[in-house]
Amino acid sequence: MDIIGFIVKLFLSPQVFAPIVFPGLLTALVVLLIIIWAERKIAARIQMRVGPLYVTRHLGGVLQMLADGTRYMFQEFIVPETADRIPFIVAPILALTLAILPFAFIPSAPGFSPISSPLTLPAVLAVISAIPISVLLMGWASNNKFSIQGAVREAFMSLGYEVPLFISAISMSILYGTMSLEEMVTKQFIPGLILNPIAAFTFLVSMIMSAGKLPFDIVEGEQEIVAGPYVEYTGIIFGIGMGLAYLKLYALSLIYTIIFLSGWEPLPKLLYDIYPGIAGIFLFVKAFLLMLFIVFLRSVYGRYRLDQALKIGWRIYFVMSIVSLILSLGVRVILNV
Amino acid sequence: MLSMSSEFVSSRLLFKEGDESTYELFIGPQHPSSGHMRFIVRLKGDIIVSVDPDIGYVHRTMEKLAEGREVIKAIPLLERLTIIDSHNATVALVTALERLLDAEPPPRALYLRTLLSEINRIASHLYGMGIAGIMLNHSTMFMWAFGDREVWIQLAEELTGARLTHTYSIPGGVRRDLPQGFKEKFEKAARYMEKRLQEYMKIFLLNPQIASRYEGVGILKKSEAQRLGIVGPNLRASGVKYDARLADDYGAYKELEFEVPVREEGDCMARMLVRVEEIKQSLSIIRQVLEKMPSGPIFAEKYLRLLPPKTREQVLKTGHVKFPGLFASLKLPAGEAVARAEMGHGEIFYHIVSDGSTKPYRLRVVTPSFRNVILFRYLPPGHRFMDFPAIYGSLDYFPPEADR
Amino acid sequence: MSNPVKNFPRHIEAIWTGLKYLVKPNRMTVYYPEYFVVPPEGYRGLIRYYPDKCIQCGLCAMVCPAGAMKMYVKKGEKKGRPGVNYQRCIFCGFCVDICPQDALEMTKIHDVAFEKFEDLVFPPEKMALEPVSPALKMGAKKVKPVFDEERGLRHESA
Repeated sequence: MDIIGFIVKLFLSPQVFAPIVFPGLLTALVVLLIIIWAERKIAARIQMRVGPLYVTRHLGGVLQMLADGTRYMFQEFIVPETADRIPFIVAPILALTLAILPFAFIPSAPGFSPISSPLTLPAVLAVISAIPISVLLMGWASNNKFSIQGAVREAFMSLGYEVPLFISAISMSILYGTMSLEEMVTKQFIPGLILNPIAAFTFLVSMIMSAGKLPFDIVEGEQEIVAGPYVEYTGIIFGIGMGLAYLKLYALSLIYTIIFLSGWEPLPKLLYDIYPGIAGIFLFVKAFLLMLFIVFLRSVYGRYRLDQALKIGWRIYFVMSIVSLILSLGVRVILNV
Repeated sequence: MLSMSSEFVSSRLLFKEGDESTYELFIGPQHPSSGHMRFIVRLKGDIIVSVDPDIGYVHRTMEKLAEGREVIKAIPLLERLTIIDSHNATVALVTALERLLDAEPPPRALYLRTLLSEINRIASHLYGMGIAGIMLNHSTMFMWAFGDREVWIQLAEELTGARLTHTYSIPGGVRRDLPQGFKEKFEKAARYMEKRLQEYMKIFLLNPQIASRYEGVGILKKSEAQRLGIVGPNLRASGVKYDARLADDYGAYKELEFEVPVREEGDCMARMLVRVEEIKQSLSIIRQVLEKMPSGPIFAEKYLRLLPPKTREQVLKTGHVKFPGLFASLKLPAGEAVARAEMGHGEIFYHIVSDGSTKPYRLRVVTPSFRNVILFRYLPPGHRFMDFPAIYGSLDYFPPEADR
Repeated sequence: MSNPVKNFPRHIEAIWTGLKYLVKPNRMTVYYPEYFVVPPEGYRGLIRYYPDKCIQCGLCAMVCPAGAMKMYVKKGEKKGRPGVNYQRCIFCGFCVDICPQDALEMTKIHDVAFEKFEDLVFPPEKMALEPVSPALKMGAKKVKPVFDEERGLRHESA
């Protein structure tokens, strides 16, 4: 009795429920399943065709990615002889761990953050910026000319988007006067999008660059370097590699919703009274719609060249993020928030 | 650059020993976007130092096969050279055969050949634009181009009976007449195409991201293009106004009015814009052809009178031509003939030598992609590595055509 | 980086074009094998042979570019009757066009699949039967393509 009660209390505590169930690991895996299907269906609607259809015919083929994942499970995981064995196997697991780690900091309802600390925003951005290191390790361990090219491109790209991402996020924390994600939601009487639109736009484009979505999918450029760092991987590890970008996108869009789109407001009182963990439903819906828009951009754009992407990151968006910093200082002084 | 040294031939595949700063990549036939060929790309950092195209993977010995068969069988054989605009590949062969056999096709047959040639040209340019789109990972342009190509292939199917392998021209004329209701169907397709061309501009060519990948990249200077012998829209985008439809007399082009679009910049964007302009010009040519189409027979009198009178009446009534039994063993008089035509990719050139038997002694074909392949060696050096697919896509190079 | 200010409306125009087609898609694909696209008149499909019209001249085998038509000579016949090898046939229609008695005809069936290699060679008796498409046999609905100004190609039921 006591032990079962203890386990249930442990499971329902914010430290375990938020990172593991909602909006953490399990929800992230479900979102991964659905967002890849949604990307293919959206692209198909624009491109005069139908997209995946036959797996669950009546639902429009929703479980296509489950079928693909099952097929990956049954494929043999081959380690090439010329590859460096230990880093080859460890690197994608490290990448997946680092991609799931941000969910330890993201709150889903007031008073329900897994780690309640006044510095969750820099912590989560620091964890996200460590993911390119594992991709570099993947590219180096594969011992393949194309994957080293891809790893070098990942290193270049991370230099291009890190600074605008950080500065626009920090400018919002200057505006609100706090660095804790939970308090940022309570301080938004109007959404952060309207308070500082320049920071919102810069963060959005840096987010797209970070997640490697078109027009910035330079790391996995199929037309020149086949799959980049992921080219020697087979089986479920290849599936993980492809899903990594979407996990990063999901974590970043949750942060975007919290900072700019006033998070979980309006809070449904009913759900909050039952159990606070499931009250973050609007947070999830807003983040999902944002992801759908970013995934729609795949049908409109091609790919930028590497030096053009770096030029955009430094010449346009770095300058805009400095401008947004000054703007948020001005707004803070005027509104005396 | 093969160098014979001692017992074995050391090929150009090996770069010099000790050259550590040059990074060599084999973009081989087993690559999602190399086509049916291999490139040996040498890089210094991100800048391309040299590119070596390695062609010959799709060599099907077409010229040799044509020597072992009767000459009427060479028409379906050589049609498979470039299956995407097959009629332009065969109309030059048939014109050369007619010059040798001294069989003049009637005017209506010339107009019908022009009609199918222009439909094929539109389909070929759409294919080229689709490939250019997917090279930059712009999948919408790829799908739209191939989907809209379906409209033109359906039109060709109404006219000839097959979607891609038309086999429409034969020595003496064409095989089928215009079906009922073709003109209305074409008008709808033409209006649809004009609307779609504007949308291609908005989403692909005027898209600032695509424009930044294409402008100023792969500039081919006018003198360089003339020196290397480039043909097709690649030449016309560098400022040289040369079109085989005006240079040689085939089809009904002498009686039609059309412009040949020429641009001066010579970069990838100019090549794509020349192709878009050519599609619009082809639409106007087809409109003129359908208006001015003369009536009459579609098969030369020289062969029509070999058919029995009942079959001759049936041919004139149904519009399906019947071959005379002579075609199974058509004897070519001794001599030579040359002919050229303008395909979507450029100018194709045929030279037939016959010694008086039913099989040609020598059939030589020079395809446009074979003449354009040298650009892979001269254009990319100096550019960044990611410009290579952009240049490849804009050149509209078709490996099976180059390898024959 | 020519001019970010001039480029921004063009970005918006490209995104708007994409959104337009997201809301109102114009699909052109056909769900084969539930629907079967009927080809137009004069389509060059599988060949049908009419033995009573044939005069056994052998012209079809002489003109075939791929060597697919071969004459099957039975005892007592002079040149025999034609049979076709569909592994080699390129559906060019020369045999149909050269036959002086109209004994060969091209049908509108094109999607037959063979399970064994030996099934690909049709002797004259098999060529005299009407070819059957497996999709139509399983009850596919027939559609025909119609040209349309807005959508290019629409498929209506035939």
